[in-house]
Amino acid sequence: MPKINEIIGSAAAIAKGMSVTFREMLNPSITDLYPDAPPLFEERYRGVHVLQRDENGMEKCVACFLCSAACPSECIYIEAAENTDPKRISGGERYASVYNIDYNRCIFCGYCVEACPTDAITHGHGFEIASYNTATLIYRKEQLLAPLPPGAQVPLVVNEEPVGAGH
Amino acid sequence: MKILYNEPSPLETRVLSRRFGLENSERLDTYLATGGFEAFRKALEIGPDQIISEVKTSALRGRGGAGFPTGMKWSFVPRNHPKPRYIIVNADESEPGTCKDRLLMEYDPYQLLEGMLIAGIAVDSRKGYIYVRGEYRYLITHLERVVEEAYSRGYLGKNVAGTGFEFDVYLHSGAGAYECGEETALLDSLEGKRGIPRMKPPFPAVSGAWQSPTLLNNVETFSAVPHIILNGGQWFAGLGTPKNGGTRLVCISGHVNKPGVYELPLGYPMLKAIYEVAGGIPGGRKLKAVIPGGSSCPVLRAAECDLAMDYDSLAKAGSMLGSGGMVVMDETTDMVRAALRIMAFYQHESCGWCIPCREGTAWLRKMLARLDAGIGTPADIDLVGELSKNMLGRTFCALGDAAAMPTISIVEKFRDEFEAKLQSYAAAGLVQVG
Amino acid sequence: MAELVTLTIDGAQVQAEKGALLIDVCKARGIEIPAFCYYEGLALQAACRMCLVEVEKMPKLQPGCTLPVAEGMVVKTDTPVIHEARKSMLEFLLANHPLDCPVCDKGGECELQDMTFRYGLGESRFLENKHHVDEQQWSPVVFFDRPRCILCYRCVRICDEGVGVDALGVVQRGVVSAIAPSHGDHLECDECGMCIDICPVGALTSGMYRYKTRPWEMNHVGTICTHCSNGCKTTLGVRGGQVIRANNRDHSGINGEFLCVKGRFGWDFVNSTERAQSPMLRTNGRLEPVSWSRALMTVARKLNEVKQRGGRVGFIASNHTSNEENYYLQKLARQGLRSNNIDHHRTGDVVTLIDALAGRTDALATVADLYAAKASLVIASDLAQQQPLLHFQLRANWRHHRSRTYVVTPGPVRERKFAVKSLHAEPGRELDAVESLRDDLSKEPELVILFGDAIQGDAVRRLVAFGDSLGIPVKYVCLLDYSNSRGAIDMGLAPGLLPGYRPVAEAGLEPGMTIAEMLADASLDVLWVVGANPLRNARLAAENAFVVVNEMFLAETAQRADVIFPAASAYEKEGTVTNVCGEVQSLKKALKVMGAKTDLEIFGLVAAEMGIDLGPFQPGAVFEEIRREVRGYNVSLPVIATGGAAQSVPLNGRVPALTRAELIQSARDTLFTSGTLGRYSKNLTSVLEHPGKLYASGIETP
Repeated sequence: MPKINEIIGSAAAIAKGMSVTFREMLNPSITDLYPDAPPLFEERYRGVHVLQRDENGMEKCVACFLCSAACPSECIYIEAAENTDPKRISGGERYASVYNIDYNRCIFCGYCVEACPTDAITHGHGFEIASYNTATLIYRKEQLLAPLPPGAQVPLVVNEEPVGAGH
Repeated sequence: MKILYNEPSPLETRVLSRRFGLENSERLDTYLATGGFEAFRKALEIGPDQIISEVKTSALRGRGGAGFPTGMKWSFVPRNHPKPRYIIVNADESEPGTCKDRLLMEYDPYQLLEGMLIAGIAVDSRKGYIYVRGEYRYLITHLERVVEEAYSRGYLGKNVAGTGFEFDVYLHSGAGAYECGEETALLDSLEGKRGIPRMKPPFPAVSGAWQSPTLLNNVETFSAVPHIILNGGQWFAGLGTPKNGGTRLVCISGHVNKPGVYELPLGYPMLKAIYEVAGGIPGGRKLKAVIPGGSSCPVLRAAECDLAMDYDSLAKAGSMLGSGGMVVMDETTDMVRAALRIMAFYQHESCGWCIPCREGTAWLRKMLARLDAGIGTPADIDLVGELSKNMLGRTFCALGDAAAMPTISIVEKFRDEFEAKLQSYAAAGLVQVG
Repeated sequence: MAELVTLTIDGAQVQAEKGALLIDVCKARGIEIPAFCYYEGLALQAACRMCLVEVEKMPKLQPGCTLPVAEGMVVKTDTPVIHEARKSMLEFLLANHPLDCPVCDKGGECELQDMTFRYGLGESRFLENKHHVDEQQWSPVVFFDRPRCILCYRCVRICDEGVGVDALGVVQRGVVSAIAPSHGDHLECDECGMCIDICPVGALTSGMYRYKTRPWEMNHVGTICTHCSNGCKTTLGVRGGQVIRANNRDHSGINGEFLCVKGRFGWDFVNSTERAQSPMLRTNGRLEPVSWSRALMTVARKLNEVKQRGGRVGFIASNHTSNEENYYLQKLARQGLRSNNIDHHRTGDVVTLIDALAGRTDALATVADLYAAKASLVIASDLAQQQPLLHFQLRANWRHHRSRTYVVTPGPVRERKFAVKSLHAEPGRELDAVESLRDDLSKEPELVILFGDAIQGDAVRRLVAFGDSLGIPVKYVCLLDYSNSRGAIDMGLAPGLLPGYRPVAEAGLEPGMTIAEMLADASLDVLWVVGANPLRNARLAAENAFVVVNEMFLAETAQRADVIFPAASAYEKEGTVTNVCGEVQSLKKALKVMGAKTDLEIFGLVAAEMGIDLGPFQPGAVFEEIRREVRGYNVSLPVIATGGAAQSVPLNGRVPALTRAELIQSARDTLFTSGTLGRYSKNLTSVLEHPGKLYASGIETP
């Protein structure tokens, strides 16, 4: 008899275990199918930064350096330059001619986003930055910039008549 | 006979304006025929100390707006100073609502010259300047003729009226800046600089034009002096109320039947001036408000107007006698528009030297223009009052105060009109309130 | 001792000098009264109304910046009313201020920002349209952004009162009033940038620094300007191996807030693309880049070879190299090569002055003396052009203390505006004119005499004799041209003088050749030129001489070189320099330029390669030796180490005269030129006034 009991007990245990399996098979999956399918992100997920553009395609960044000042891991490097009428890159008087983020060091804390007075730098949802070569982890402005809105032209060439300084 | 600015009123006490209306009243002969230069001769006789004490007794107070006792001002000028002393007439009459000095200069310029000569004796000065408002272009030509006549007839120059007294008078035209009516800005402008007020102390009496002791008074103040010397300070003081000697030229404008310049003794009842001297309000409309002494004075409501027009009574009522420019506003007046008009003037005239006045007037003008258009919230009305108070007493010179005081009073006393305007525009669906 | 008064500030009893300004008294007590328009040393304005305080018995708030303290005054600086007033002033100021701090160059070091943080409102109640005017460019170095301007009039005052140029004024009135150049739409001035520096906000910005970086992104290195001899302190802002700006950020040193166009903008030669970055060796008639070791070895071998066969070696030294380098070079020449053929371009006759003073130690003026002296006499120099700091000091002295200045020059100079007497003197007749001032000068309580290169040799002796005969204390400044002209002669870079003005005979040597003699000596074997350009206007007689050049730029002399060592500029090295008044100050290394080495390193490495032991070639060690060995250089180390200026007093006995008139000549650099350095500074050559002209300014009478 003990044998039979043992068999029944085992069968019951298997049935119990399989019942979970079968039940879950019918429920919708909660696992991301990454990399076969794109992963889902919460809205506020802090991924690879995106440098935003305004509605005209101008870069929002005016190279104020506040993000780099706020950065606890000092991973943002900026060089500023002046917008000129023939070559207008950003909405302000100044734009970032160089904007590098070193993802070897970035801790994705979001302080840069908080510091930004023009909402230029934001966290995107990109995360696939693993690399065998650390040099490729220094992202340049071109890699960070949001795509141009359709029809926009940057640098903008302004050909307007000079306006007098009246009042 | 020349056509006067306005018909004189029988209720007037005509002292300074007694020659107004005489034929060729601006000519030396007319002046001499009506007692001219008697005061000057008497002043030479009695000497500086006596002159100053007579002026003190007369309780004459500066007619330019601030109302500082004239005799005291004269006594501050050091007579034995190594530098020359200057007599300067402030004829930069630019206060909106005020138009008395032009009449004094136009119809009785010798009275002014005689007043200057007496002041010259009082502080031992040999040079006088008349700083005439730039917009009074015609008066400059007129005064040039007068001064020329005075020189050619020996009433100015090395030997005034044969008495051996030496005095020269120069005319100087302003360039259209209200700010240059402020005495120290006037001095800067006179010296050829940008008309910006100076730091006080030192006061002009000690260090004025070209760092020399300078006696600076309004046209009307100087014009009153010959009468004081001739008839005695006591007599002049008796015309007015205690501490407020004499008469003054009140320029009544606005909603009255007979606007004009009237010479009334100090302490004259304001309502009587409006309803009897100036002939009352057209169409029998009701009085709404009065600006008692030029646009820089706080506005009085109709109910507050039952008072005597002297420096102290008006101060008690929370306003000022100012420069005598009385603006009467009847019930049809839009007080928001009035506040805007006043602020627009001060914004245009602010010299830009100090921050509160430069920025405050511009900001307030923009806000008042917006409120006048009915755009805004009740909080904006509070902000107008608050900004004006922030200007008050903190500016470099009195221009900031002049802009703030009427605005504060209008916002406080006629707040309902601001609100009504906002409401009506909101009701019309034009804007949203709140 | 001035009369003291007792007053009460915020409840505390305070003693202060009668008539002192309340704002200064409070500052000394550690109580801050905020202000924009108040600036120490400039005329009072009371325009910004930030400094309002409560004073008992006065009905209105009083501006602390114009209120003299008086006995029994009771002042309150910390009451709700005052807080309210400050808040409202800032609110008014910010009404039309554009709030473009993120792009404004001043952001991070802006007084308006600081004040708003400390005293201002959190948010703006100004909802109207802001008054806007487009930005204007007034000169290559000065830009003006009207909306940011708070009209504190500091720029107008520093230009008029401080520099004496009067290039700025105020136009319009009310809210549209604006600062404007006197010449309509552009500046014609000294381009000194003092207006930019003094601007509390970002209204005036520098064309060189504009939109380049932010203040906190730079390393700020306080060093000494390498152009003229005045020795102004300058703070270099360095980022990524590049100098981005220069200003005397902490207003320390002998120049306070002052810097001229060269100090403020003339630093760009450092990052010039034309800098020599590699040693060069002439091979087959052409200069080819080689390694340092190859170049050093070549020079060392040549020198050793010439030394062994008793050949002739000459050294032409620099006016810009540090004292340590100069000292080490003369040691290399004298000890290493037993040669006294060492000289530099001398621009003033300091040697005769020191000889004529015959050991007096109190007769050399410092820069500070020029601000304190009751009277001064300027002979044969266009001070505002050639010695801008000294001019600034004299002018400030006149403004603040009504000091009396006498001028004897061959043409109009700016000091004539405030001089009590100014005489015209043809070159060579200056002393006659000075003699005619004898009566005036002898009535002065004291005098500082500044003289240019026209007074040399016997004339210096006659001038000192004249000074002695006045019967009043007289101090002298022998005007020189370059940043270390004084240090060069002090360190014995002369054929007849050892460091400290000791005769070469003391070292058992014969005097060597001067520059002219070296250039004319056809049998010269080696000529080593350090940071100088003697071949610009001369030719080298010795066709076959081996020429070694330490240079930053491949100018005329470098083109003739057989070996070129790329040298570091003064901004790339440690060390000390001595200014025109003999004040020793330390250089701080601000950056490293790829490929260049300091001259000290080059000398040390060559000596090592030659197998000569001249001691360590670290600046600190050499300076220690200088302090030990060079007469008058035993200066206080702490003073120098903390960025101060310590005057060297090289006077304790007569020195041998070696003056030969034709050897001493100023280069006549103006405010906008600076020898070779100036040629390679685009900033300097870009201004309208470049190259400038001596004796052409300040013609107007006051």
